[in-house]
Amino acid sequence: MLTRRQNLLETIRGGNPDRFVNQYEAFECAPDVPMFKMLFFDPYTMSNPFPAGPGAPDVVNSWGVTISWPANVPGPFPLHHDGLKVLKDITKWKEVVKAPNLDFPQEEWDKYKPIAGAVDRNEYFATYVVAPGVFEQLHYLMGMDDCLLAFYEEPEALKELIEYISDWEVRYAKLICENYHPDAIFHHDDWGSYKSSFLSPEMFAEFIVPAFKKIYGFYKANGVELIIHHSDSYAANLVPFMIDLGIDIFQGCSTTNNVPELIKKYGGKISFMGDIDNGVVDKEDWTKELIEREVRRACETNGKLYFIPNTTMGGPMSSYPGVYEAVSEAIDKMSKEMF
Amino acid sequence: MAKIDEVKAQVEAGKTKLVPGLVQEALDEKSAPNDILQAMINGMKVVGDRFSAGEIFVPEMLIAAKAMAKGVEVLKPHLAGDAATSLGACIIGTVEGDLHDIGKNLVSMMIGSAGFEMVDLGVDVPAEKFVEAIKETPNVSLVACSALLTTTMPSLKNTVKVIKDSGLSGFKVIVGGAPITQEFANEIGADAYAADAGAAAETAKAMVN
Repeated sequence: MLTRRQNLLETIRGGNPDRFVNQYEAFECAPDVPMFKMLFFDPYTMSNPFPAGPGAPDVVNSWGVTISWPANVPGPFPLHHDGLKVLKDITKWKEVVKAPNLDFPQEEWDKYKPIAGAVDRNEYFATYVVAPGVFEQLHYLMGMDDCLLAFYEEPEALKELIEYISDWEVRYAKLICENYHPDAIFHHDDWGSYKSSFLSPEMFAEFIVPAFKKIYGFYKANGVELIIHHSDSYAANLVPFMIDLGIDIFQGCSTTNNVPELIKKYGGKISFMGDIDNGVVDKEDWTKELIEREVRRACETNGKLYFIPNTTMGGPMSSYPGVYEAVSEAIDKMSKEMF
Repeated sequence: MAKIDEVKAQVEAGKTKLVPGLVQEALDEKSAPNDILQAMINGMKVVGDRFSAGEIFVPEMLIAAKAMAKGVEVLKPHLAGDAATSLGACIIGTVEGDLHDIGKNLVSMMIGSAGFEMVDLGVDVPAEKFVEAIKETPNVSLVACSALLTTTMPSLKNTVKVIKDSGLSGFKVIVGGAPITQEFANEIGADAYAADAGAAAETAKAMVN
C-alpha cells in the first residue's frame, strides 16, 4: 500500500495510485493541531491576533483589520462597517498600510521547529498553511466594493499596494522556508464566487499573476514541492494562469467549474481537489445518502487521475459536525469499488 | 449617435467621468429627463445580462453602476416628483449571522438601477430589523434577503417567516445567495428567487409591475 504522500504523487503525476486521495489526508501532517492539522506555527502567526473560534470576540489583526468570527459560521471575516475600513482612500495607501513586523529573534523561530521536525515526511507532506493571500488582503484592507472599483479607478496605486503586500509575503515565505522547510504550501486566496471569477482573466493576468509569480516562484525555488491553492469558487477561466504560476493542485474547485472537463483539458499540468460543493452537502439537513450520492458522482465522473475528491471547504473540517467524516467514509467506499 | 444613446453606451462602459457631462448635454438638447433615466436603466440591463452570461465581471458591474449613479445625480433635479423611484422602495440586507456583502451590494446596485429606491440595512441583519424597516419606510414594494452560507440558510428561512408572520403586506420578498435555490426559496415561502444580480433586477421589476 502506498503512503498517503506516494499515493498523492501517483495521482497528480498520472501514475498508478492504489486508491483515491481522501480529501486532505496527505496534508494532515500535524494531527494534533486543531482544525487545520497542518503547520502554521511561527512567531508572526502566533503573535497575529485571530479570533479563538466561532463566536469569540472580534480582534484587530497585525494589518489593522478587524476580524470577526460569528458563531455557526465556517470561518472568520473582515469587518468594514462603522469606520472599520483600514484603507479608505487607495491613493493614500503608503501613509496608512503598515505590513506586520517579521523581525523576530532567531530563538522565536526556533521555538516552533520541533513541530515541523516531528512530521513523518514519508507518510505526509509537511504542509504549511498561508492565509489570506494577496487578493484577500486587498479586500480585507479596503472592503470588497472599494477594492474591485480600484482596479478601474486607481490601477497604479493598486499595483503599488499589491507589490507591497507580495514583497512582504515573499519575506515571510523566506523565513518559513529557512526555518521549517515545508514540502507543500496550502495557500488561501479566493479568486471568485460560486459562478464566476471576481476579475476578468485579462485583469487577473495584469494585476494578480505577477504577485503570485513572485510568491509561488519563491516557494518552488526554495524546496517546496507542491503548491495547493485554495479558492472555493468558480475559477475555470483562471486555470491556465494557475498552471503558469506553478500551482499543482486547485483546491476548492466547485462543481460550477465542470471539473471533468478541466481534467480532460489540463490533467497532467494541474490537478483538481474538490467537486463536492459545501453548499450541497454541508448543511443542516445533510444525510449519509446525499453525501454518498455526491461522492459517487464526483469519483465516477472525474476518475482516478488528476482528481482528489474533497468538499470545497478550505481545510479538513465542515460547518456541520460529521459531514467531513461522512465524506471521507464515502470516498473510502468508492476506493474499494473503483480500485 | 444621439446624445441619449451615448449616455446609455457610456453607462454600459462604466465611464464615470463621462456620463455626468453626457447627461447634461442630453438635457441641453431637450431630451426628456425620464427618457435619459430610461436610457441609463436600459444600459444597466445590458450590464446585468452580460454579467449573468459571464461576459463581464464584478468590477465592470460596479463601475457601470457608479457611472449611472453619477448620471442620476445630474438628472435628479430635473426629474418630476418621484419618477426616479417609481417602482417603490426595496429593503435589502444580508441575514443575521452572515457578514457577506458583495453579492448583496451588487443586487442593491442593480435593483436600484432598475428604478427602486434602495434602503440597505447592511449585513448580519436580524429578522426584526427587516420588519422595523418595512414599517418605517413608505411605499415598500420589495424586500430582498441574502444568505451566502449553508449555515445561514436557517437564518434566511427565519427572516422570511418573521416578515410573513408580521402581518405587513403590499410587498414581495425575494431571496438569493450562493447556496440558495428556487426549491429552497419555495420551501421557505419567499415570493421569488434570483440566481444573480442581473436576474434580481429583472425579477424585481417583473414582480412589482
